[in-house]
Amino acid sequence: AYSSRTLHLQQSARNMAAARRHKRVAASQPGFLRLKPDLDHSASRIGHKKRVNKNKKKNWNKYSDIQDVEEFLEDVRLQERATGGLLSDKSDDGLFFVDVGEQKKKGKGLKPLRIDLILQPDSQVPPPKDILAYQQPNARKLRLMAQKAEKLAAMGVLPRRERLLQRRRIPGSEKPVANNDPARAFYDLWRPDRPDTADPYYLEQTKRRLVKRPEKLNVKPSLLPAVEVAAPGASYNPDFTSHQALLLEAHETEVAKLKAEEKLARQLAVRKEDLATEESVFREQVEGLIEEEEEKLEAEEDDEGTAVGPTAQTEKKTEKQRKREKADRVKELQKKAERKAIDSRQQLFQLRTISAELRRREQQTSVRRTRRKDQQEREKVQPRRLGKLRFQAPDLDVQLSDELSGSLRTLKPEGSILKDRFKSLQKRNLIEPRERAKFKRKFKVKYVEKREFREIQ
Amino acid sequence: MGGLQKKKYESGSATNYISRNKARKKLSLSLADFRRLCILKGIYPHEPKHKKKVNKGSTAQRTFYLLKDIRFLMHEPIVGKFREYKIFVRKLRKAYGKAEWGTAEKLRGNKPGYKLDHIIKERYPTFIDALRDVDDALSMCFLFSTFPRTGKCHVQTIELCRRLSVEWMNYIITLRSLRKVFLSIKGIYYQAEVLGQIITWLVPYQFAHDHPTDVDYRVMATFTELYTTLLGFINFRLYQTLNLVYPPKLDGKGEEESRAESEEDYAMDSERYMEVLLHLFCHSRFSHPCFGSLQEKLFEGLKFFLNREVPRESLAFVLRCFGAQVSWDKSLCIGSTYDVTDETITHHVVDRPSLEKQYINRYYVQPQWVYDCVNARMLLPVEDYFVGVTLPPHLSPFVEEKEGDYVPPEKLKLLALQKGERPEQEEEEEEEDNDDSEEEEDEDQSDDEDELKGMEEKCRVCRPIVLFQASSVKVTPGEAKPVNRQRAEQEAKAEEKRLAVMMMKKRDKYLYDKIMFGKKRSVREANKMSAKRKALDEASKANKKKKLKK
Repeated sequence: AYSSRTLHLQQSARNMAAARRHKRVAASQPGFLRLKPDLDHSASRIGHKKRVNKNKKKNWNKYSDIQDVEEFLEDVRLQERATGGLLSDKSDDGLFFVDVGEQKKKGKGLKPLRIDLILQPDSQVPPPKDILAYQQPNARKLRLMAQKAEKLAAMGVLPRRERLLQRRRIPGSEKPVANNDPARAFYDLWRPDRPDTADPYYLEQTKRRLVKRPEKLNVKPSLLPAVEVAAPGASYNPDFTSHQALLLEAHETEVAKLKAEEKLARQLAVRKEDLATEESVFREQVEGLIEEEEEKLEAEEDDEGTAVGPTAQTEKKTEKQRKREKADRVKELQKKAERKAIDSRQQLFQLRTISAELRRREQQTSVRRTRRKDQQEREKVQPRRLGKLRFQAPDLDVQLSDELSGSLRTLKPEGSILKDRFKSLQKRNLIEPRERAKFKRKFKVKYVEKREFREIQ
Repeated sequence: MGGLQKKKYESGSATNYISRNKARKKLSLSLADFRRLCILKGIYPHEPKHKKKVNKGSTAQRTFYLLKDIRFLMHEPIVGKFREYKIFVRKLRKAYGKAEWGTAEKLRGNKPGYKLDHIIKERYPTFIDALRDVDDALSMCFLFSTFPRTGKCHVQTIELCRRLSVEWMNYIITLRSLRKVFLSIKGIYYQAEVLGQIITWLVPYQFAHDHPTDVDYRVMATFTELYTTLLGFINFRLYQTLNLVYPPKLDGKGEEESRAESEEDYAMDSERYMEVLLHLFCHSRFSHPCFGSLQEKLFEGLKFFLNREVPRESLAFVLRCFGAQVSWDKSLCIGSTYDVTDETITHHVVDRPSLEKQYINRYYVQPQWVYDCVNARMLLPVEDYFVGVTLPPHLSPFVEEKEGDYVPPEKLKLLALQKGERPEQEEEEEEEDNDDSEEEEDEDQSDDEDELKGMEEKCRVCRPIVLFQASSVKVTPGEAKPVNRQRAEQEAKAEEKRLAVMMMKKRDKYLYDKIMFGKKRSVREANKMSAKRKALDEASKANKKKKLKK
């Protein structure tokens, strides 16, 4: 936006150029009097206008005067800039107003800041629109695609997205239901199903039919009942004898533990014979220094001196020796066969002892069989060794006589059912006994003093 | 010949077993996942007979599984779900690490899960199989339902356990099949009969308890997962057999009352349903037709009121199982139907040492009366269980005494009551606190002897009790003695036995004597016990007398 000053300057410049031209043209008119005498008598030139070729581009600007057109256009532009359109096109109301002499209120209206005013566009001509913003290089392509899609939609073919949106949702396949949802529904699991009509091979291959469970897995690992009721002495208000019996049991386990500890201590204790006495100390100190000892050692060495020399070379056996050996062997065999025959004949008379022997053996085997069977039965009820740790029987829950409270209100429960269930699972061989994992450090902990503290003495 | 020789550990038991780590690697699962899978599928480790052979010569203690079991495990579809879960966790952790919250949310929404229905069907092909295993499931569910909802264990699991246990209790109440109750220091043991199966389960007390640290929580949680599914299906089937709707809904009347009473003071919205179900069950319209036996109508027609300090849930369950009407103070819990001021209340269960305001028409009993009645299958005299009275001991109904075993005198009294005999007056007077007098002492002494004799006689249950009648000297026309057929049979049997014993060979007689000696040992011990008991009773009596004299 030009300021009025610049406009003014431009205007004045143009006026000046126009003035100069005007003067020039006027000076070339005949009868023009100059102030300074024309020495070379340009009067001869008076009346002769220089003839120029106005058809050349170079001369268009020089020798044509378009001042009036320019002025007119300037005027038009001025009007447009100042008032937003030609004045002749404006209505009367837009141009004039009747001055009734209104009193303006002073002070209330905040006048806008000068800098704001300066920054406002001072031309009523609107800025041209940015055509780059409206340009789309593939507008035609998009248009064609939209038309095609419309045509297809009119025929009934929808794109994939719409098809998916319109498809019905399968109720079960939305979100997997958590197993422990408190509002989950149950159904009759043991309802006799209608048998699978499909080919069993097909079902197997597509993993629709589950693999058959082996029979051995249906056998329970232990014959103990799942919930073992506590002894009558563990009642909250027990009767005397059963409580005593329970206390006795607890007492016995404690005594057994103590005994085991004592046994260990006893076994590890130092024996009186092993304690050093003055005599034994002296003997140890003096070992190897006395001469008597040396003679004994020499005597021992001689006994061991029977040297085992090389054996004499065996001579080759002669024919005679060989024949003799063969005859001996044959005789041995004969004797053995005879003996065997006699024995088998004599066995007839030994029937009674033989039958007694057999009966004894049978009894032994039957005894062993019953023992083995008993052992097997016992093992079915015992907790097996299933891992590194052994099964530790849980401590008996028992309340001492002074802890017993006669009323349910003042009862303090003993033992934790969680632990009881855990131990029961271990006892029935369902899980292996476990203990809490200890915190093992990979690297040793090192303690270092901070620098500041190190310097302080 | 080198190639044809048999190598060690290539056949036989060494190839039938596989160690745990090898099995885990074969399935490509982590140890925790492997354990979970084994627990869910019911695959347990085996102890081989010859460990050294299986361990290929080493004696290190390893856990062994049968190879066929592990091969069977490989076909399980859940294994794939475990692997998916592992990947899900990895992706989630990455998303959190990169602070991609949108991705994390999206992943969370599509968390993979698995169902255990097919495993239950495979492990328990028939309903009765499942019912046999329900003891363990019940105990676990009841245990988990009492856990605090701190978040250490999934709160959803706890809620599901609570729902299932409430449904089970409802079923037992409807069926009225509770048989035995035993209050131990650990918890309460219940025994019920369902479809011919005897089911025992353990319920912990409702007080808060801190958890022991050496229990593996993950293992217990996995077991609970399996058992909740099992119990859910069992509940459904049981409700179906009674033609009840599952999950149980309240009838119209019950619903209105629940809406009237249950404000947010008592229970959260999610839990209101279960609490209401448990406590308003008596309003259900359902009536099972075959409550014929006297036992099931034990408390029929009686109205109970539970004071604040008694274990409400347990007592309400037991009482309702036998047909009673129960209520409690309104400020305690939802479901109280009548107030303490109701005139028609017959029994008021109190556990305090003394009670101020007492109504006339009702009995004030301690909670043990209810349990003892249930165990004795009859209404016991209320006098022994009044407020402030020293209770008789709570005997375990799960103990069955054999011939010759020691039977505590309390149990004898109970048996006597059950048979309909009246308890001996003298014994009762001895038990109570009486005013002292010299007469008493004499009486006591003579009564002591009688008591001892009586006890000794009763202890030998096998010996028939002989009634001695004083014979009169006069000659009177004879009376036909009624022949007690049973006694005659017993006598004949005893005769035969004695004859057989006489005819035994020396060797056999020696063995027989040994056996009888062993049998009579228990009788001798019983005598010892009774003597001990007598000594204790005397000592306690002496103490009481000393106190009175002071």
